[in-house]
Amino acid sequence: MNNLINIGVAQIGSAENPAVLRTILGSCVGICIYDRSKKIGGMAHILLPKNNGKGNDEKYADTAIPMLIQKMLKQGCSKEFMTAKIAGGSSMFKFKSSASLSNIGDNNVISTREALKASGINVVAEDIGGNVGRVIDFFLEDGRMKVKAAGNEQLYYKV
Amino acid sequence: MHSHIKQRLENIVDNLDQLPSLPDVVSKIINMVNDPNVDFKKVADEIVKDQAITANILKLCNSAYFSKGKEIASIDRAIVILGIREVKDMVVLATTKAVLNKVIMGYDLARGELWKHGVAVAMVSKNIALMKKRRDISDEVFTGGIIHDVGKTVLALFVQNTFKDILTTVEERNITFQEAEKDVMGFDHQEIGERVLEKWQFPPILRAIVRHHHEPQLAPKEYIVPVSIVHVANTICLMAGIGIGSDGLFHELKPEAIDATGLSEDELEKIYSEIPEVMQKAGEIM
Repeated sequence: MNNLINIGVAQIGSAENPAVLRTILGSCVGICIYDRSKKIGGMAHILLPKNNGKGNDEKYADTAIPMLIQKMLKQGCSKEFMTAKIAGGSSMFKFKSSASLSNIGDNNVISTREALKASGINVVAEDIGGNVGRVIDFFLEDGRMKVKAAGNEQLYYKV
Repeated sequence: MHSHIKQRLENIVDNLDQLPSLPDVVSKIINMVNDPNVDFKKVADEIVKDQAITANILKLCNSAYFSKGKEIASIDRAIVILGIREVKDMVVLATTKAVLNKVIMGYDLARGELWKHGVAVAMVSKNIALMKKRRDISDEVFTGGIIHDVGKTVLALFVQNTFKDILTTVEERNITFQEAEKDVMGFDHQEIGERVLEKWQFPPILRAIVRHHHEPQLAPKEYIVPVSIVHVANTICLMAGIGIGSDGLFHELKPEAIDATGLSEDELEKIYSEIPEVMQKAGEIM
């Protein structure tokens, strides 16, 4: 049986195979980084795009992602074997009010892509946007990501 | 419209036995505390009749969320030190867990997710009330937050059978998930929830929160502010993924609720950005 590790909102975590990292997303973005050589996976669940120095680094795409990569490098991962899959960034279905909340999902995705690019990690799969909630399971045996949304399951195998 | 489902739901809401139950002491306490001439001693006497509830409340009293630093060993002391309204909130926390801490099929919520969602919405609602200087309703939006989705526990089985139709209705008619529930099944989870609260003999303000948490502008005028507070808290918790299910974000943040609460853009963003801290505290009282 695989060891299931829940990653909560604004948390990061990493583990070695065998394990499954799980998170549940609305407008937040889940980042699954996999080292295919070591079979080590790391997950971040970010809440907001940019850190303005007010809160924990784990909350924000631009600080949580470098933090997660550093954590994985310390565990023996190397960037040449690491790729990322991202999911989440949904928006409220109807939003006539609150400009700041309405763009959070999209801005989270943009900032996530930027932070991964700046760290030199390729994004090999994305399951983003729309109005769905997503349950993400990240399997460390082969790095696949399973996304359950609106009653459907989708698998992403590319690493 | 699935008329056979509508008929089955009509039977369920007309037959109180099929709706979830709570110990009678809960409505007694809520209604006693709502009375301006409440007798604290009588409230304490009522609570201590039930050992399990008493033990749970004492545990909650000494949690970091409710504690004011002093060790509390009796319900009398809890009422004096923490306040009668806080003790009432603890009674609701201690007793509704059995109803809400379940797998919610149809909405695809694993065990514990709906309970966690209720506790989170309760805490965020209370924070909003305090932020907007409405301490007078902070306990009621907390209680309402815990139970706002209780209707889902009954409707879930039917949502499981009609999910595809509901989602198609959302997309084709450009209406929210809860509006599509009503369209496809004849009832939405708010209406079912209201019937549950009638069975429990909960007061009108809590019934209004459960009945209108997706459409606060339709609530009775005197309850628009508390209902709007829970509406905003619910929206923000779902955006942060707390208790988000197969209905996802197919909902609407109502401009009327922003107006009624008087929340600014900065305040809304602050509430959203502090969800991780809320969840840390929620762990202590779940």
